[in-house]
Amino acid sequence: MSVVFDGSPLKAMQSSHTHSPHTAPSAQELSQEIKSFISGVDTVQGRKLSVREHARCAVRLLRSVPACRGAVLEHLRGVYDEHVSAFLHNLETEGNGGSGVSSNLEDIIQEVHGVLSEFIRLNPRAWAPLVSSWAVDLLGQLSSKHAGRRVAPHSSSLNELLQLWMSCAATRSLMEAYSQCLAAMLAWCPDACVDALLDTSVQHSPHFDWVVAHIGSAFPGTIISRVLACGLKDFCSHGAKDQGLMVMGLEKGNRVPKIGSVVGILGHLAAHHSDSIRKELLRMFQESLSPSSPLSPTSSSTSWESSPQLRRAAVPFLLQLAAMSPNLFGAVSAELVELLRPPVLLQLQALLQGLPREELDNMLGLAVHLISQSPSGGARVLRFLADTATPASVIISGPTPSPHEGVREGCDRLLQMLLLHLHKLVFNRSDGVEGNPHHSASSQPQRVILFLEELQSHVGELCAETLRLERKRHLWLHQLLCLLSIYGGPSVATEALCQLLTQARNPEELALAWQLHTTLSSCMAGLIPTAVTRCVAQIHTHTLGPRQLRQLLLNLAAAIQSQDEERRGSASAQSSMATQLGSAVSVHLHDFGPLLLHGDPAVSHATVRLLSCSPLPRTFCPAHLLLLSRAAVTHFFQALRRRGEAGKVGKDGGQAGEAVNCSVLLLSRLAVYSPLTLKAVLQQLVEGALHKGNTDLFGGQIADMSGAPVPSPSVTPDVGASLLDINCRFGTTVNFSGSVWSVFHAGVIGKGLKVRSDIQLPDPSGVIQNIQTILAVVVQCCSSSGLNGSMNGSRPASDPDEPLPINAEAAKVVAITLVESVCPDVANGELSWPPEEHARTTVERDIHIRRWFEAHPVIFPLLQVVAAGRPALCYCSAVLRGLLATLLAHWEASREMSSTDSPWHLQASCLLVSCMGEGQLLPPVLANVHEAFPHLTPFEVRLLLLAVWEYVRGNGPMPQKFVFSSEKGLFCRDFSRDGDVARYVAPIHSVLHKNIDRLGHLCWRFQL
Amino acid sequence: MVIITLVFCQVPMGDIRQSLLPRDVLSAAKELLYHLDIYICNLVQSGRQPPQVDAKTLELVEEFILHAPKDRNTPGRRMSALQELQLLEIMCSCFQEQSRDTVRQLMFSALFSLQGNQADESRMALLGKLVSMAVAVGRNPILECAATWLQRTHRVYCVRLAQVLVDDYCSMVPGSVPTLQNIHGASPRFCCQFITAVTTLYDLTSEELTPPLELLQMIVSWIQDDPRLVLITFLNTPLSGSQPISSLDITPLGGLMRWCVKAPLAYRREKKQALTNGSAENEQEAGPLLSALHLSVLQVFMLLPNILNEKGLFGRLALLQLESLAALTSDLSRLLDQADKHTHTSSADTQALSQLTLDRLAQALQVAMANGALLCSREDLRAICSRLPHNNLLQLVLSGPVMYYNNIHTPPLAFSPHAAHSPIASHPTHPAHTPHTPLATHPSSHPQYPGQPFITGMPFPFRPSH
Repeated sequence: MSVVFDGSPLKAMQSSHTHSPHTAPSAQELSQEIKSFISGVDTVQGRKLSVREHARCAVRLLRSVPACRGAVLEHLRGVYDEHVSAFLHNLETEGNGGSGVSSNLEDIIQEVHGVLSEFIRLNPRAWAPLVSSWAVDLLGQLSSKHAGRRVAPHSSSLNELLQLWMSCAATRSLMEAYSQCLAAMLAWCPDACVDALLDTSVQHSPHFDWVVAHIGSAFPGTIISRVLACGLKDFCSHGAKDQGLMVMGLEKGNRVPKIGSVVGILGHLAAHHSDSIRKELLRMFQESLSPSSPLSPTSSSTSWESSPQLRRAAVPFLLQLAAMSPNLFGAVSAELVELLRPPVLLQLQALLQGLPREELDNMLGLAVHLISQSPSGGARVLRFLADTATPASVIISGPTPSPHEGVREGCDRLLQMLLLHLHKLVFNRSDGVEGNPHHSASSQPQRVILFLEELQSHVGELCAETLRLERKRHLWLHQLLCLLSIYGGPSVATEALCQLLTQARNPEELALAWQLHTTLSSCMAGLIPTAVTRCVAQIHTHTLGPRQLRQLLLNLAAAIQSQDEERRGSASAQSSMATQLGSAVSVHLHDFGPLLLHGDPAVSHATVRLLSCSPLPRTFCPAHLLLLSRAAVTHFFQALRRRGEAGKVGKDGGQAGEAVNCSVLLLSRLAVYSPLTLKAVLQQLVEGALHKGNTDLFGGQIADMSGAPVPSPSVTPDVGASLLDINCRFGTTVNFSGSVWSVFHAGVIGKGLKVRSDIQLPDPSGVIQNIQTILAVVVQCCSSSGLNGSMNGSRPASDPDEPLPINAEAAKVVAITLVESVCPDVANGELSWPPEEHARTTVERDIHIRRWFEAHPVIFPLLQVVAAGRPALCYCSAVLRGLLATLLAHWEASREMSSTDSPWHLQASCLLVSCMGEGQLLPPVLANVHEAFPHLTPFEVRLLLLAVWEYVRGNGPMPQKFVFSSEKGLFCRDFSRDGDVARYVAPIHSVLHKNIDRLGHLCWRFQL
Repeated sequence: MVIITLVFCQVPMGDIRQSLLPRDVLSAAKELLYHLDIYICNLVQSGRQPPQVDAKTLELVEEFILHAPKDRNTPGRRMSALQELQLLEIMCSCFQEQSRDTVRQLMFSALFSLQGNQADESRMALLGKLVSMAVAVGRNPILECAATWLQRTHRVYCVRLAQVLVDDYCSMVPGSVPTLQNIHGASPRFCCQFITAVTTLYDLTSEELTPPLELLQMIVSWIQDDPRLVLITFLNTPLSGSQPISSLDITPLGGLMRWCVKAPLAYRREKKQALTNGSAENEQEAGPLLSALHLSVLQVFMLLPNILNEKGLFGRLALLQLESLAALTSDLSRLLDQADKHTHTSSADTQALSQLTLDRLAQALQVAMANGALLCSREDLRAICSRLPHNNLLQLVLSGPVMYYNNIHTPPLAFSPHAAHSPIASHPTHPAHTPHTPLATHPSSHPQYPGQPFITGMPFPFRPSH
């Protein structure tokens, strides 16, 4: 575009110029020329001059009579105007920009342009100011005069406007002339030409904008800084009062301050040169602060830095600018905060101290307004403010060194004003439209508070900051969180609450969440359930790390537990909130269930704590319930194991112990919840206790469980026989030595007994503790009122010291599970016992059963529990029979002198008999025989056990034989209905006789 | 016609105002001019001495021609540039057509003599345009009037007028210097005053105040053509001693001398700046021009004795003021100091230029003193020149004839009377041609020319005791 006039027309003009001295017009001719020019009539020939002739005449005068300069330029305005009119008319009539009328004047315009540009080139100092103001003024006039034309695009479509005007020779020529002037003038007085540009822009805005945009993009660097400098000067001379009024929407007087057009121009340039604009603005800020030093040659010819008044006005000016143009503000705000380091702040304070109070307030208000409307960087601004305003402290040393006290107070004030302002905005806003923020945003766009909009995505960080509980800071932030939640509606409120719940680390911090809720609960309903739902969603999406997860769970638990405390104390809103929270959590219990088995002990611990204290829901999907109970039981065993490990390592097992306690509590609560859960829990407890993996917890030995040898290679030498090897070889060779036939459960035939893999025995005290624990759980489960309530509604009120009786039904569950675990073959089998001789047929099975008893010491205590829940022990009869059969075999085969020489068998025998007695499978006389066992020889023990067998064979262990005695609240067996006990007692008596010297004190136990 | 004018004469000009008010700007101005013409004619005819334009009329001029705001409330009407041009055109022809010189002068001063009010600005603007236009279209009467104006007005305004012309013709419109050059033929008085104003304006203190080359060329060519040009105002002015205070000097001699003396330093400074721009032509072209100018100035000095004698003013009127000389020398010493400081390795070039400056100063002082243009004692001169660096010639001039003519009571410096008539022809070894060599023919330093005739009985300007 810009090359058009640099070509031939100019050369033509120059050549004509070089000719001119030869034909220099005489004074007389000039006089005639002037007359012609004035009158528009050729004085020699007496005819009227055409437009082009007139223009030529004018150009000649321009070249020869300096005094005519003004008049000629004025006349040329008309010529340019005419050309523009013709051009536009042509466009309107023909549509395709034809040659027609417009080309008529184009040559004369080129001629004028040539002359002017030659003049400017030859003597820029003289001509550039003149031509630039003329061109700018004319451009302004032309563009606003013809703005209403049909072909002229609307002033808002800058690009089309630019295209139109740049295709018109007249305006293009003016534009180029102006550019030339500007290029020339930049060297020595750039302010003047930019001033003119601004004045015209003010006068002809918005039609003139295309000019500014074009010039601005041609000289971005200079225009931007000049425009700013001019604006600053104007601002300074107008004083801040006018500006203040203008922000309020009032425009005072007819003199519009230049700042409007400054904003407009910069706004246009921002599209392509936002970077340089930002730099320029920031530079202005910095230079206004830096102490006035004469040694700043960097300041490029601008003069405002040197005037203290202008420097003082720079900051208010920039604020004003930002207030008027969101674009500019957005460009600057982000980096501005970075710039505000302590030294800068001190300078700023020093600068602002000089301002009068009223002006300061004004600025403060403006700054608050700006911050609240800043579309981005709000979080950074906030952090900066909070950092700076937080009082210096010995304890908390922030990332930045503590600023000067005055600066801090200033920031403090600013922050409080900001909060107040936001408060007003938020509450004024929400009284119109409640709830849906999107809806309100669309219907009332002016209600959008950009600062809060932006902060909505930083709720998490805000919460974290708040929870640091630093002095005043958390108060501010908490207030802000409230505002934000109210502004953003339930989603943000939920988010905030959820974040607080996740991030709080102690009761004080957690209290913040309750404060927030208290504030919000008045205007938002159902906050807690949604918050909990959100937390659960977070758990599901695995967005939380183990620590956070644990913290969240602990916080929830703590919150729910606080309910109990407050129930005792004042029943406030807080307790109701705890209740709400409890019910909300209870809905999601099954979601928390899987966390019990979380890999991180801390998490599972937290989970169990939460679950143990949260109320159970009224209704529960059975599937969920089963899953939960399974998880709970599994966790119980894990907790036991952890406790054991913690004890072993020697560290404080408090947490592990507490986890076990919680787990116990949870299990017992689950058991109480419904028959289904009770059953499931018991079943799983028993199965778990007997499970291979858990045997060691209860002193069991896993290695002997199966018939196949599981030697650990390092300890046992390889016996050289492997079932797998043999099977592989089976088809090819027949080798009976060491073949499958010779592999027996006790070892390989010919190689002696299988070496017992020695397992390090678990810590006996730990084992005892574990056994106690599981017994306690089982007892608690069995004795809880779940089944009792349903079965025997009228249970006599027992005093609280006396332990509750074991529930029969629950005991039955334990019994059945026990049988199924120990020997599935006999489950649901015949309860009655065959004759003793028949035991030979079930040797294998009996050994299996005995091994179970050997491997799982915990079975005996469980059996005792079962026995207490009469008549449940009947269901264990097969197992009891198997054990008794092996014991009989052992005692028969034993050649020891005393029964005490085989301690396990002795113990097993004693326990078995006492269990059966407790379970009323035996009458008391028979049940007491175990007391004599330690004093007898193995054979005598066998005799006594045989008597037991005989009795049970004779009087089968049938549940039907038990009747419920309502006064005891128990089932009891009436032995008198059975056959005569006396004949079974005879062997006892003979054994007593034989050993009367040692058993005399026991005689009374066996009296019928 | 006579009746009408007589009748009009009785009507005070103030009453015209009501009839002018409703007119448009241009026709009101035209009408006022018309009335003014008649009014002044009547004034002159009435024979009142001195003819004085009354204050009412001046106010009307300010209101309707200069458009000064009458009071703060009513914004002054403004003419467009085109209307202004028309007005100027009318004025031009008005002055051209008025045959009586007195009327023209009165009218000009009614329009343009400064009143010390706020109308002066527009007055100056209009005057600048009028004179510029008159130069272009050759309206000699206007130039004559302007010459008178330049004599009567404070030098600050004179300088502004000169500035307008220089801007218009030497810088704004390329190729228009010849037009300005014509004023020499059109109005020598104006030309002389113009030179005085220009030399006052451009005192070579800064780059802006260095005369453009075109201007220098023009002035040199004027003076070369006719050295008496610079004395024209002096010759035509009756020496009543009533020179207005702070008006321009009566001759441009002081200013021209300043140019010649300071130029080597000033143009060197410019050259230094020009070197960065890549063109050093100014200095090369200005050098010879200034040499020629210096010669011309010296020649004019030598013309003086006859003229002064004719007027009977020799020894009584100093055309060069000692104060301005003092200013020049102090300026010079500062410049030379700077030059020394700036070029630590003071190149031969710099040295030569400094010496040239001092040579010219010495020459000018000597010739001026000898020809009665400068009236002062050698002690005064020594005081003035005390801070200047050493220069042989200057030393000689300052020490003066005292060294050699201590006891001789004859004037040491004089030229043969015929020298005044044809100075160039009679001095083949004039210093201006070889400015770098000391004056070979300087009488005081060359006692081998004892036969040189001296004018006896002439008052000895620097020896008042005699």
